[in-house]
Amino acid sequence: MFRLKLLLLLITLALVFLGSLFLGPKIISPFGYNDIEKEILVSIRMPRSIVAVLMGMALGGAGAVLQGILRNPLADPYILGISSGASLTAAMGLLTGFYVFGRFSIPMTAFIGALLVTLLVGAFGRKRGVILPDRLLLAGVGLSFLFHAILMLLLSLSTDEGLRRTMLWMYGDLSLAEWSLIPYGTVLVLLGLGIAVSRFKALNALILGDEFAHSLGFSAHRERLILFVSVSLMTAASVSLGGTIGFIGLLMPHIMRFLIGADSRLLIPASAVAGGAFLCLTDLIGRSIMPPMEIPSGIITAIIGAPYFLFLLRRSNVLKI
Amino acid sequence: MSSKYDFPILELENVTFAYSGRETIINNLTLSVGNGEFIGLLGANGSGKSTILKLASGILQQRSGRIDLWEKEMQSYRNKDRAKLLSYLPQLLDINVPFTVRELVGMGLYPYDILPHLTVDEALDAVGLADKAESPLTDLSGGERRRAFIAMTLLQGAGLLLLDEPLANLDIKYQMELLKLLGELKEKKGIASIMALHDINIAFQFEKVMLIKEGTILGMGTPDAVLTGEMLKEAFGVSIEVKRADDGSTYINYGSVL
Amino acid sequence: MRTALLSNVLMLGVLLTASAGFADGNISGRRSTAPPERIVSLAPSMTEILFSLGVGSRIVGVTSFCDQPEEAKKKQKIGGMSNPSLEAVVSLRPDLVVMTTDGNPREFQERLRLLKIPTYVWKGRMLAGLPQGIRELGAELALPEQAEKLARKIERALAGRKVTSKKTKKHRIQSLKALFIVWPEPLIVAGPGTAIDDAFTLLGIRNIASPTRTTYPKYSLEEVIYQAPDVIFVGQGHVNMKDISKGLLRKLKMVPAVRNGAVCYVSDSLYRLGPRVIRGIEELEKCFD
Repeated sequence: MFRLKLLLLLITLALVFLGSLFLGPKIISPFGYNDIEKEILVSIRMPRSIVAVLMGMALGGAGAVLQGILRNPLADPYILGISSGASLTAAMGLLTGFYVFGRFSIPMTAFIGALLVTLLVGAFGRKRGVILPDRLLLAGVGLSFLFHAILMLLLSLSTDEGLRRTMLWMYGDLSLAEWSLIPYGTVLVLLGLGIAVSRFKALNALILGDEFAHSLGFSAHRERLILFVSVSLMTAASVSLGGTIGFIGLLMPHIMRFLIGADSRLLIPASAVAGGAFLCLTDLIGRSIMPPMEIPSGIITAIIGAPYFLFLLRRSNVLKI
Repeated sequence: MSSKYDFPILELENVTFAYSGRETIINNLTLSVGNGEFIGLLGANGSGKSTILKLASGILQQRSGRIDLWEKEMQSYRNKDRAKLLSYLPQLLDINVPFTVRELVGMGLYPYDILPHLTVDEALDAVGLADKAESPLTDLSGGERRRAFIAMTLLQGAGLLLLDEPLANLDIKYQMELLKLLGELKEKKGIASIMALHDINIAFQFEKVMLIKEGTILGMGTPDAVLTGEMLKEAFGVSIEVKRADDGSTYINYGSVL
Repeated sequence: MRTALLSNVLMLGVLLTASAGFADGNISGRRSTAPPERIVSLAPSMTEILFSLGVGSRIVGVTSFCDQPEEAKKKQKIGGMSNPSLEAVVSLRPDLVVMTTDGNPREFQERLRLLKIPTYVWKGRMLAGLPQGIRELGAELALPEQAEKLARKIERALAGRKVTSKKTKKHRIQSLKALFIVWPEPLIVAGPGTAIDDAFTLLGIRNIASPTRTTYPKYSLEEVIYQAPDVIFVGQGHVNMKDISKGLLRKLKMVPAVRNGAVCYVSDSLYRLGPRVIRGIEELEKCFD
């Protein structure tokens, strides 16, 4: 039954992906395209759609893991400031010319930022081992403001190469997608998802609470750290692929919990697949509804996601997972 | 009561505990639990019952003293190995994630890499939740939820259960059934339990009770020996009359309060 | 320039400070008829015009983006275009603040009015309105001759373009499709309502971004491929646009402009509605030589 649902999700993703290739501002027939259309498919739509799927998967997966570890249904890499932390360190890395990891420099610096923020938010939101949901959220919001301000500061001081990237990170935008981004993006996203899915038992136990996790044979601290690393990998991947896009990490796990159930073993891959399909779809919408202009995907996901966030806030039991 | 082993499976010796920068909660506590023992833990709120259970399950680490599980230092166990020997169930089960009952109970098998000694369905049968297997936890009543967690603990198959107020918010019927179930486990499988309790009348059913005040043991032994009016007054700060019924069972009389 | 461009990119061309809301009439608050002696300019284009009118020495304050001509850089800075510092302006004791509806916050005029500081608000956005605007500003500054001279010069240049493009270059330039790239990644181009778009019209080139309703739209890459511009202009700022356009041009390798090497890097002259538009138009034209 669950496997069937997961299969259906994958089929949906495949359909959306094909749609984003052949639909768009102009429809291209899959059965006969000219050279120009072929060029558009290969150089523009294909890398862009793949990047959208990878980013969406990373964000959906990261959201599912974060909501579990933090026992908070409002957790999302964007809301908790993890995305902006990743953007900030990546921007700092660029500005200081930090190229130790070669091609992986940007995602690596983003990863460091994401991990630091995750740990910071985690530490802020806990008091003597108990998670304080409101404090957690406020810590995330506070950090988000701070990083945004520092990014703005960097922006006004930066050299122009840094400037260009930084702007991209502040406002998620997939129009820069190109083939060269895809290999490392794939590696990071799959690594992050792989770690998360392989620790699904620990995550389920952590959702019950640290004491349950302990009783069921897990070190809550160690498992949480491993899962934080996985969230940070996915967030860093998505930020370095196309900047900060919000609310996918919030929306997907909720919808999937409803459709598939709460078991992390299925919830993580399902949220990832759904996130991929969702971002691919919103990007398709963003570049198709007002041609020749484009609306950045981040704007569309926020228009859908922010009201849902408010709706969730209204529910009384929302602050505890 | 026959024990296959003649050494204690859990032993606390001169254990002291305090949260960092705070007053001592547990003071020089010594306690040992034999195989198949069934111990009730009584004391006023804040007397340290929960802390003792958390120390005994290795969640908290003592400041001084020794805690051994199967004659081996508690903190030296690998998490998974410890989880096969003891299981801890906290008092609060505030989970708003819609795991199904079956998923939850199945988590009891997490410490194991081999096939279960008991199936999820058997565990569900044992707590009378077979018909709710596919229901999400969020749809259950407080008592059903409690029983689902007990089933998870049963499936974990540990020889020592540390249960913090497991009878809280259970209907009297399920309180009885749960106690009966634990009694059977003790008889059939030699599973020992320590259970924090509120209801003194229920404590009279136990073979062994432990009365706690401010982190120290006031008395330990059979209920008749420990739960005397004098001791209860010391522990709870209120005069309670302990009476014996015609059939030999003991109960307390609150007197006329209202 | 960088920040002017930045705000365009950031806000994706939504930065449309409508002229509605500015007080009626170009000027308000002047008490005497004596020509102003202490002028503050709140826009780089205004600074350039003022210098061209020969009143550069009377300017006491400019924005941090006023970098043309060279002497402008030495003037006291009063903040940015969208966020000038009221305190800095007031402390310079100006007898005229020159501002524009194209980038300055409209509330700023009101604040200055309350402080009884006279303002002149430039409302034109079109290339064709530039000479007339200069005449009006000149009248206000009691410099009608200088203004007339500059206005005529620009008028001649604009008129000249028309003739040239019609007679000698018509067959080459006209009906050509072009795109002016303001920023490559993400792709921001010059849309309608900009001096660049006006200049295109003047030269008889078709701006493929004209149908958008935004001055600086974020443009679809594949749309560029479909529209197949014959010429692509890339505006230089303080940045080496050649370097940062590489990735974009790689993706546009099918486009005739890129295929035929008709990618032309021009200066930022057309970004400001000022005296340098003449040079800007010449630069565009040169790309066809």
